[in-house]
Amino acid sequence: MPQKRVVLKNCEVIDPKRIDSHLESGGFKALSKARGEMTPEQITNEVKASGLRGRGGAGFPCGIKWDGARTAPGANKYVICNADEGEVGTFKDRYILEKDPFTLIEGILIAGQAIGAKQGYIYLRAEYHYLLDHLQSAIDQAKQKGFLNGFSLEIREGVGAYICGEESALMDSIEGKRGEARYRPPFPTTSGLWGQPTIINNVETLMNIPPIILNGADWFSQMGTERSKGTKVFSVSGDVARPGVYEIVLGSPLRELVEELAMAKDVKMVQIGGATGRILPYDKLDTPLAFEAVLGAGAVTVYNESRDVIDIVHRTMEFLAEESCGKCTPCRQGTEVMAEVLDKFHKGEGSLKELQNLEALSSAMMLSSLCGLGQAAPNAVMDSLQYFRNDYESRVAK
Amino acid sequence: MENKINLTINGKEVTGRPGMTILEVARDNGIDIPTLCYIQDLPPIGACRLCVVEVEGSRTLVGSCHTPVAEGMAIQTHSPKVIATRKVLVELMLASHPDACLICDKANICELRRIAADLEIGLPRFRTRKHYFPVEDENTDMVRDMSKCVQCRRCVIACKSKGDEPLFGMAYRGFDSKVIHGYDQPLGSEACEDCDACIDICPSGALRKPRRAGEERAAKALIIKG
Amino acid sequence: MAGKGVITPQKDRSDLIVRLQEAQQRYGYVPEEVIRALADSLNIPVHEVYGVASFYSFLSTRPLGRNVIRVCKSLPCYLKSAEMIMEAVQKELGIGLGETTPDGRFTFQLTNCIGLCDHAPAMLINQDTHVDLTPEKIKQILKSYQ
Repeated sequence: MPQKRVVLKNCEVIDPKRIDSHLESGGFKALSKARGEMTPEQITNEVKASGLRGRGGAGFPCGIKWDGARTAPGANKYVICNADEGEVGTFKDRYILEKDPFTLIEGILIAGQAIGAKQGYIYLRAEYHYLLDHLQSAIDQAKQKGFLNGFSLEIREGVGAYICGEESALMDSIEGKRGEARYRPPFPTTSGLWGQPTIINNVETLMNIPPIILNGADWFSQMGTERSKGTKVFSVSGDVARPGVYEIVLGSPLRELVEELAMAKDVKMVQIGGATGRILPYDKLDTPLAFEAVLGAGAVTVYNESRDVIDIVHRTMEFLAEESCGKCTPCRQGTEVMAEVLDKFHKGEGSLKELQNLEALSSAMMLSSLCGLGQAAPNAVMDSLQYFRNDYESRVAK
Repeated sequence: MENKINLTINGKEVTGRPGMTILEVARDNGIDIPTLCYIQDLPPIGACRLCVVEVEGSRTLVGSCHTPVAEGMAIQTHSPKVIATRKVLVELMLASHPDACLICDKANICELRRIAADLEIGLPRFRTRKHYFPVEDENTDMVRDMSKCVQCRRCVIACKSKGDEPLFGMAYRGFDSKVIHGYDQPLGSEACEDCDACIDICPSGALRKPRRAGEERAAKALIIKG
Repeated sequence: MAGKGVITPQKDRSDLIVRLQEAQQRYGYVPEEVIRALADSLNIPVHEVYGVASFYSFLSTRPLGRNVIRVCKSLPCYLKSAEMIMEAVQKELGIGLGETTPDGRFTFQLTNCIGLCDHAPAMLINQDTHVDLTPEKIKQILKSYQ
């Protein structure tokens, strides 16, 4: 199956610097429809019926999130667009922000209409500072054309912290604090930014909103699988001939993305979802890309036969240990233990006992960590132990 | 009657009121859940994770100190899964903790040690690099030894709740996180006003009263059962 | 009771990060005086400002060079021989990781994934991106920063 462009339909088509170019290709029609013909409840119902799930990794049903914030009591509600794309190997949001900032703004404004918010933030990661002016110009143009209609949309820049892609840490960061995970409940939809009802959506999630509003939930939910509707934008990198951004219908096999589109050869394994993602060996390449199987935020890093599994898992864990916020015990201490143990295996100094301990540790981290980082941190370790156990056992000190 | 929330803890039917946490209801019913960061009457912190319990239908365990009870909840506070997780958590705290119990002033009144003993933890399975910080002993009311800190943040929140300018806050990130004073400087001689709020609740040997000449140690000598 | 943790309600408290970013821009780092002054003006303890400043990788409480080089060390770049880029930078500048050239022109750091994996290996110098790097390109790129 070839690429299917829903989210990326304007990318490389319109001139992302000029709003007129966007308007000529039908831009902001969904916003007019949402504002002119629909009640907030109808908007959230449409999104609910579409089956759209969050594209940032966790896959929470978007319409349910919106409805939570819509019905929550609160005078100042907020829409936050999470553009803190920090997962290792992800760059699809960068591509979207570069090529089609207007559809994103339209999605944010529809979200604001749906939940009754007057204010929104785009939280842009520090590493994407070079997109700031471009994005601000897009907002200014939309404002000039009257699309903001009293809605205040501000860009907040990150300051270099992967954890701030996690929604509760992101809100703390906007509030000017250390980006640490909060416990939930309360959930952001009832008590988010400054304690107000807040929705936080990934860039790609919001990009799906205008086409859903315009074409209807039925059109959208025809694409995909039972529990994964629509398309997904993937960032493919590593040992491939054609790295880049690809949009395909959810449920498509991983093989199509890796071998057909990105033209990888001699694949040993694929890491799907970045540092917190899953690892699949070559013989699992027919696994469908869907929430039911593997997905994450859509980072697909391909490793060929020459790569050392332990080296890769060790580097993954070093990343997580560096980026853990440090608030809760399992993540702060657990990622450090894992990084140190994996370092030993990498040097051929591991022990079988440590392998067993890694399994107990993984389970505790998954079960007790405060947020998604710590809960998903052991994924690479667990998956590689399942599929490449020999690689570990061969590194046990003799 | 509508103000009652019905739930079960370890198979036993119990009731709570709206806004109560799982921990509060459990303790009301004589069920002991260990906590290292939670302190009664102070806002929950949710950092240590020791108070996690199993709630039917939940993918992960949940922190009982900050999760409100809900109608129909079925909770297990001491299931094998919960106990195994708590063990790992304490072992993780010990992984970077100095092996200095024999000479520590908190020794056998140490909460961390007591919880480790309750969970029947012997030699911890995990090891990490240690944090080495000089002992801060300039202050006449408090000695700080941050190499022993388990980052529960009790001192941060207790001092903050006193209303004056709080002494402590969190700095740095991840494994290098640290409870600091001011510009990460040693606690000076004038810094605090001897309320002991933080010392009394520090679960490790990180905060203690200075020992004055001739004074006995707060803790009795360790008796190790053979 | 299930509380909301400790939250200072005033909204201007949220300016803290924005103002730390300004200081970083202006001085190349966040000086202690700025941290103390911010604490004063926002009426919050010094440890709170320092706690925020020390949390984020793009804020530094120590002086850095005029130009900060951040070579990506994450896996997609590593697979494309990012280590050769690191070596080339160090060789060209004669400094090690985390160090600043004696003339204060460059500081050399590594960074986690910067989202340029389709053009690996990549690096940031200040806020500029440099992609599809080869060791040969480094000399020329560094020349353009004074």
